[in-house]
Amino acid sequence: MSQKSSDNGASLSQNGTSAYKFTKEQLAEIEVLKTKYPEVQAVTLPVLWMAQDTFGHVDPEVQRLVAQTLDLPESHVHGVAEFYTQYFKEPKGKHVLDVCTCLSCHLCGGMDILGYLENKLGIKAGETTPDGQFTLQEAECLGACGYAPMMQITNDVYVNHLTPEKVDRVLDQLASGQTPDFESIPMPLVSTTSNNKAAGGSDE
Amino acid sequence: MAEIVIDGITYSFDGKPKLLDFILSKDKDVPFFCYHPSMSAPANCRMCMVKVGQYVKNRETGDYELDDQGERQIRWFPKLQTSCNMDMMDDMIVHTHETDDLVKRAHKDTLEMILINHPLDCPICDQAGECPLQIQTYKYGPEGSRFEVKKQHKPKHVQLGPRVTLDAERCINCTRCTRFTDEISQSHQLTITRRGDKNHPTTAPGTEFDDPYSMNTIDLCPVGALTSTDFRFKARVWEMNQTPGLDITNGKGVNVDLWTRDNVVLRITPRHNPHVNEYWMTDKGRDAIHLYNEERLSTPAIRLHPKDISLVMSSWDNAYQTTQEIVESTDPKQILVLGSPYASVEENGAWMQFSEAILKQLPSYTTHIEKGSGDGFLLVDDQAPNTHGCELLGLKKRTKAAFKKAVAEAKVILSLHDDYIERGWLSEEEIKGKTWIYFGTNHTQMAKAATLTIPITCAVEHTASYINVDQRIQRTYPAKETKYTNRRLDLEMSEGRLDRFGTKFDHWVNEDHKVDCKPLWEIVGDLSLLWGHTLSYRHGRDVLDALGSKIPALEGVTYQAMDDQRGLLLTLSETQEASS
Ligand code: SF4
Ligand code: SF4
Ligand code: FES
Ligand code: FES
Repeated sequence: MSQKSSDNGASLSQNGTSAYKFTKEQLAEIEVLKTKYPEVQAVTLPVLWMAQDTFGHVDPEVQRLVAQTLDLPESHVHGVAEFYTQYFKEPKGKHVLDVCTCLSCHLCGGMDILGYLENKLGIKAGETTPDGQFTLQEAECLGACGYAPMMQITNDVYVNHLTPEKVDRVLDQLASGQTPDFESIPMPLVSTTSNNKAAGGSDE
Repeated sequence: MAEIVIDGITYSFDGKPKLLDFILSKDKDVPFFCYHPSMSAPANCRMCMVKVGQYVKNRETGDYELDDQGERQIRWFPKLQTSCNMDMMDDMIVHTHETDDLVKRAHKDTLEMILINHPLDCPICDQAGECPLQIQTYKYGPEGSRFEVKKQHKPKHVQLGPRVTLDAERCINCTRCTRFTDEISQSHQLTITRRGDKNHPTTAPGTEFDDPYSMNTIDLCPVGALTSTDFRFKARVWEMNQTPGLDITNGKGVNVDLWTRDNVVLRITPRHNPHVNEYWMTDKGRDAIHLYNEERLSTPAIRLHPKDISLVMSSWDNAYQTTQEIVESTDPKQILVLGSPYASVEENGAWMQFSEAILKQLPSYTTHIEKGSGDGFLLVDDQAPNTHGCELLGLKKRTKAAFKKAVAEAKVILSLHDDYIERGWLSEEEIKGKTWIYFGTNHTQMAKAATLTIPITCAVEHTASYINVDQRIQRTYPAKETKYTNRRLDLEMSEGRLDRFGTKFDHWVNEDHKVDCKPLWEIVGDLSLLWGHTLSYRHGRDVLDALGSKIPALEGVTYQAMDDQRGLLLTLSETQEASS
């Protein structure tokens, strides 16, 4: 009874053939994935990741490929892709900068960092630089409130305690093909205990 | 038998009913939005909160533990529970808002939360007047809102598909619409996109919501988010009059409600009947409004000369006399009388009696089956609403070839309803030179080709019964007045607000919406008088009674019984079955 009219999808190629294809190896991997979950619907997430890693994004046509590969309704894959901001529903720059502007970061100057990046890159949040290097986005809380303000780079590395200087350094590193340094940040709890110790020591 | 105490009253129950369903069935109220009895319960609107607990029993002895006062101890669930997805268990205690202030408070807060981004444009919202959100807010909502910031904006008037328009700002994300396409129509066309305060239903990119059942989501939607593209802004709910009826666009016999204002059918919605259509109907069935309102045959019309391109208005008397003249001047062998599966049992019955008494022949009929158009749900192959009715009456069934041959041999044809030309069974060429008297409701191609057209009432203008593909006989009620009926006098008709308070001197009442047509049984009664017979039927009931004494299967079949049992299942005899 499913009577889907997909013929009016201007952005989609006709007769169901997609410009995007999974390789044989990927298809085999998908088959393995399917055995790991009780229902095939659950495989949508890893396959979307696989697609994004391969094609750089999961635009409607990629979503369609995923749906067809898993034999799921297109609407389901679309809903899942739209739900998670980490899936890119359109082609993005090489590096995607997710600047957190949620409460804690906002209070610690997240907006200023966003503004600084906008000026520096000459684009607004949500846009991509003309050379395709950087996409700038506002993000909701990324769970690193303790190190606010912060940003995440292309769904991967977190850069914390942002300052304009640090932003400059990170952009340079990214432009020259390096990943920003990993910073180990001590948990606040740890430093409190050591302070207490120090205080205890002076008591002696 | 298990027992449950709800607001201090003990009820016993069997099985594992859902708590909300059970409470509602006891004529008590619990507000809810996302729950629907025929779909899964995801419990996402959080409106149906109740307080639930369980009597504590001693594990060893199985006795109830008592507190200091000797009352049974209750172990309450740590938080309020949504009743829609709660399975009832023995020894449960439930407090609804009637007895618990915390539950009351939960309702208030949930509504305040749901309304945070709600546009509150009830004055221009189609749903107003039949909006669960509006009703629950009146009953259980907070006095005001603490939310003073700008509301979130979302897409407005999105054309989700050819028949459904979305206003995402009004959506409360109950997912009833997406569950409908997943679980009921199974087209899987809808999904919820994005999240938080930005989410709303949508289709996959490049596809449209053209499910043949898409408009059911409009009825399901507890707010004015999904509206009918056709009906949007046409009428306020409280101005309309609601009359039960049947969907006559195919043989399924879906139960519907007809919403009229000033004798125009403005929309058709499904009426619950567990034996036929549950809560649903096809989109095609809703299109019947055009059939009922537009292009209606009104006042008999006649072709004065065979070469004339069109028919001219005539009068009832003239039409009757012309019919008599034509019939009397023709050899009865050259007259063909055609019944129709598109007409009701009563119409075909009266037609048959007239034909047998005066024209001395049994009317024949042809079925209109389109193989492959059924889907196992509410679309069926049989395009006509009363094929089994014709069968039961014993009308002579003809194949297409036999029908064409009979038409070719006849000089005068009296036919009912069917548009043989549109169906491609006859060409205008083939009926040239024949005298065709057409008893119909609309300006069909058949009507345009006929010699004489006599307008008869349609399914929304009379009381008549139809036998569906599953052999269930069900009846219609008059929803629209004709020139000769009057809702204030006809106790079978209901009156809407405008019907009651409007007069023909108001601008909202228009006499033109009443069609100049008569029930077929009245017409054949009047006609038979010309031959000195008296087949006088004033009401469909008279015909049904008369048929009941002749046809065993219709014995004891009354409108009352059909109403009481949501239609009656008939047992058609073996021979009739075999011929279907
Ligand atoms: S959906 Fe209901 S509450 Fe919302 S604007 Fe429409 S009528 Fe009012
Ligand atoms: S559009 Fe209506 S039915 Fe669909 S999720 Fe929103 S409120 Fe529920
Ligand atoms: S608010 Fe920025 S990481 Fe939580
Ligand atoms: S009706 Fe129970 S949560 Fe919506």
